[in-house]
Amino acid sequence: MRDAIMDKQLPLFIPHSSTTTAVNKTGSWRFFHPKYEEKTAPCSAACPVGQDIPRIEMLAARGQLKDAWQTILNENPFPAVCGRVCFHPCEGVCNRANMDNPIAIHHLERFLGDAAFRGKFRADLDIRPSTGKKVAIAGAGPAGLAAAYFLARLGYGCDVFEAASEPGGLLRWGIPAYRLPRDMLAQEIKRIERAGVQIHCQHPVTDRMLVDLKKDFDGLFIGCGCARSFMLTIEGEEFAGDGLEFLNRLGSGEKISYFGTAAIIGGGNTAIDVARSLARLGAAPLIVYRRRIQDMPAFEPEVAMAAEEGVRLMELVTPIRIRETVGGSSTAPPGYELILQKMKVSGKDTGGRARVVPDGDATETIAVQNVFVAIGAVAEDLWQFPDPEKTTDLPFSHCRLFARRMPLVYGGDLATPVKSVSDAIASGKQAAMALDTWFQHGTDAIAERLAGCRVGAGPALSMEIYLGKTRKNRTSHTVSYDEIVSDYFQPAARSVPPTLDAEQRLRSFAEIESTLADTAARNEAERCFNCGICAACDYCRLYCPEMAVVVEKTQRSINMDFCKGCGVCATECPRNAMALEEEIK
Amino acid sequence: MKKVIEGSHAVSEAARLARVQVIAAYPITPQTHIVEALSEHCSNGTLNARFINVESEHSAMAAVIGAASGGARAFTASSSHGLAYMHELLHWASAARLPIVMAEVNRALGPGWNIWTDQTDSLAQRDTGWIQLYCEDGQEALDTTLQAFRLAEAVNLPVMVVLDAFYLSHTFEPIEVPDQETVDRFLPAPSPRFQLDTADPSAFNQLVTPAAYMEMRYNTQLAMEEAQRRLIQIEKEFETIFGRSHAPVEAVACEDAEIIMVTTGTVTSTCRQVLADLRSRGEKVGLFKLKLFRPLPTDLICRHLSSAGKIAVIDRNISFGAGGIFAQEIRAGLCNHEPHPPVFGFVAGLGGRDITPDTLVEIYNHTKNNPAPSEETIWIGLNQETVEAWSN
Repeated sequence: MRDAIMDKQLPLFIPHSSTTTAVNKTGSWRFFHPKYEEKTAPCSAACPVGQDIPRIEMLAARGQLKDAWQTILNENPFPAVCGRVCFHPCEGVCNRANMDNPIAIHHLERFLGDAAFRGKFRADLDIRPSTGKKVAIAGAGPAGLAAAYFLARLGYGCDVFEAASEPGGLLRWGIPAYRLPRDMLAQEIKRIERAGVQIHCQHPVTDRMLVDLKKDFDGLFIGCGCARSFMLTIEGEEFAGDGLEFLNRLGSGEKISYFGTAAIIGGGNTAIDVARSLARLGAAPLIVYRRRIQDMPAFEPEVAMAAEEGVRLMELVTPIRIRETVGGSSTAPPGYELILQKMKVSGKDTGGRARVVPDGDATETIAVQNVFVAIGAVAEDLWQFPDPEKTTDLPFSHCRLFARRMPLVYGGDLATPVKSVSDAIASGKQAAMALDTWFQHGTDAIAERLAGCRVGAGPALSMEIYLGKTRKNRTSHTVSYDEIVSDYFQPAARSVPPTLDAEQRLRSFAEIESTLADTAARNEAERCFNCGICAACDYCRLYCPEMAVVVEKTQRSINMDFCKGCGVCATECPRNAMALEEEIK
Repeated sequence: MKKVIEGSHAVSEAARLARVQVIAAYPITPQTHIVEALSEHCSNGTLNARFINVESEHSAMAAVIGAASGGARAFTASSSHGLAYMHELLHWASAARLPIVMAEVNRALGPGWNIWTDQTDSLAQRDTGWIQLYCEDGQEALDTTLQAFRLAEAVNLPVMVVLDAFYLSHTFEPIEVPDQETVDRFLPAPSPRFQLDTADPSAFNQLVTPAAYMEMRYNTQLAMEEAQRRLIQIEKEFETIFGRSHAPVEAVACEDAEIIMVTTGTVTSTCRQVLADLRSRGEKVGLFKLKLFRPLPTDLICRHLSSAGKIAVIDRNISFGAGGIFAQEIRAGLCNHEPHPPVFGFVAGLGGRDITPDTLVEIYNHTKNNPAPSEETIWIGLNQETVEAWSN
């Protein structure tokens, strides 16, 4: 027999099916099933406006700059502005910090904002058909403009009334040009106008006008900010200038120069802005703060930059008297004596901050040429909240709605927990959602509707979710570093753009930081883990032993006929965009 | 063209000339030079192959199994612990009937940690269904590697080309490296009898029940037996093209020999010199070089050895509790043949210890001076002082 076999071609007897293994429905073995379940990135949850940061960085990494920019615009009308002035809480919670350094999210946002100007991107905004309703907006600051932008997209006619000669509010008149060049702001505001918003400058909302507004409008948003500075109430108070007013004058293009020591009373961001501006105008600024340096409400990087520029800081002193020094001899130029009471720490105040009290009678006198006050500001009297007893008062995280016959929403610095540009924008967005819901579904629906638009566990709200876009499918679970499969990521240096040195900065109001170059931006975006979202890396499909992951038109799904529930896909997903669920049969 | 190259590079040159398409390997001394050279060929474009980096030998074998299942000409190399780690997949490769070629550089297994030559690693894979060819020198290593692809693809079985560590792998010799055109004539592109095809999906190697498993094994056995005949044909064709040949076995002066020494690998070269010396002194000694070990050429063993007075088998390996593995195999091959001479089994040169002409003369004298083996395994060259030291 053997020889007979061997005379022919060598026989080959191996197991070989005549059909595919598709007949074997391995799905019947399953006890667990995987599913695509996008989650929330910590950066998005920490972002006051709830931007879809993992998606923005994913698109930027792919070079889809317009799409990335558009993704910012979905949640925020001010990419170029926020990329410059936002204090980026997103970076403080970035999971990447556990591997090397957080993603430079604000640099990337700025890069995309600028790329849009450079590339003349036209926004493809999703604008709902007109509701036939009109909302008046008092104040063209970040809150008012954001409210107008989102309301216009939701189908409302929006008129913004602004007292000043140009729109922008604090962005235009408060933030110095070395932090935010005016042309950037102007271009972003132009885009908001193109979305259908009418801005009326030199048109302050007055008592009388409020009455007329009720005839022409269905709702009113008030975002007039805190424009009235607190002033000192001490002897010689008339010699102290108003820091905010000083910044306004600078903003209007007035040319001013200083010499000698300029004392700035205060410890907030305005005090820093005043001090740094004075440094550029020839003065030797000295910040005088009643508490300790670590208790200053100013954002830390700003304080550090001020120090680099030669701004000096005195802590634990408070002014008690300003005295004019007459004379003007060559050795003693005209100026003031600033008499300071020394302070000391004594326990804690109600907010948990170190409380300070006068340190006995100890005083110190310093000679200065100018004194500025930047110790906070309040709203004008007209914008005091109505009596909550007389009307339905709905306080939300970033705005307060009084549901009268014509609903009234207070936003911006009047209602936000943190006084920042991003919180002001968040306020405008929340107000737009609240008003729209009020018009469409009534008072009772608002709280639930807003809660449904939250990004993660924090107060940030997403307009994409409000509009029912795919982002609503993400869970509120915030992805932690433990849930990232870090093996898929290589350590890489954080990209930082060139910055002017302190000496260069003092010569002008030129912008200090530059924008990331294209390659640096792309490298930086590629560092992003894209926590919680599918970045189409395809590891799920590559690892699936049953080839049960189906990709159709970039959408991934699992063929349950063959998924045997091994869980490799969900375990290998580098960014936790999948989940594994026990199956009850 | 003759080039002075080391044994490892004789193999890598052959793999390059064979136009292998996929190489997957994990480095291990003394094999590393082979795949190192191939990885360089892949990166500088002198070989159009996919070099797959893997984290272990188990994966290396898995990768070449995958490649061969897809119809690619696939190659790997390993040694010692690396080969042992492949064990499961060695069975798979042969039962799946995949024509994979592997260079195996004999190295001792640890502990005691030892990188020198010892045949126990490849012989421990005796029953995996791989054809095994033991090479004597660099030229034979190059030629055998080329032939291995022909043989593997002819019988659909994997082939292991075996080299002694250092004595062969790291020794530079003048070696004739053929040109590509000539090799292409001898070894055309593979035309697999089966392969995975995404256009016509089907499955290989699923469940086989007791109703068919034995027939499948019988089929493999027939292919293994056929491999000897095919190797002889391939050798003939090789000789026509290249003017050189290496037989599955080589019998030197065996016709009138009273004692025939059986060798494998590089010891054969040493034994050729000893044979000449002994013959010149009138000793009737023969040399039988066993190159083809799987399939075992029993017919050739019987033809050349059965008429001798005594057989001395030199084993650079040990199967504990039984003895040298080649000696066992020769005994088994001869035992059903009449007449069959007594077989003396010598274990020598383990873990890279030199087997010198004196060692071989000692083996010859021992065989000559004893009518029959006093014990199954005779250990040659043991250091008595060391043995006494640890036995006291």
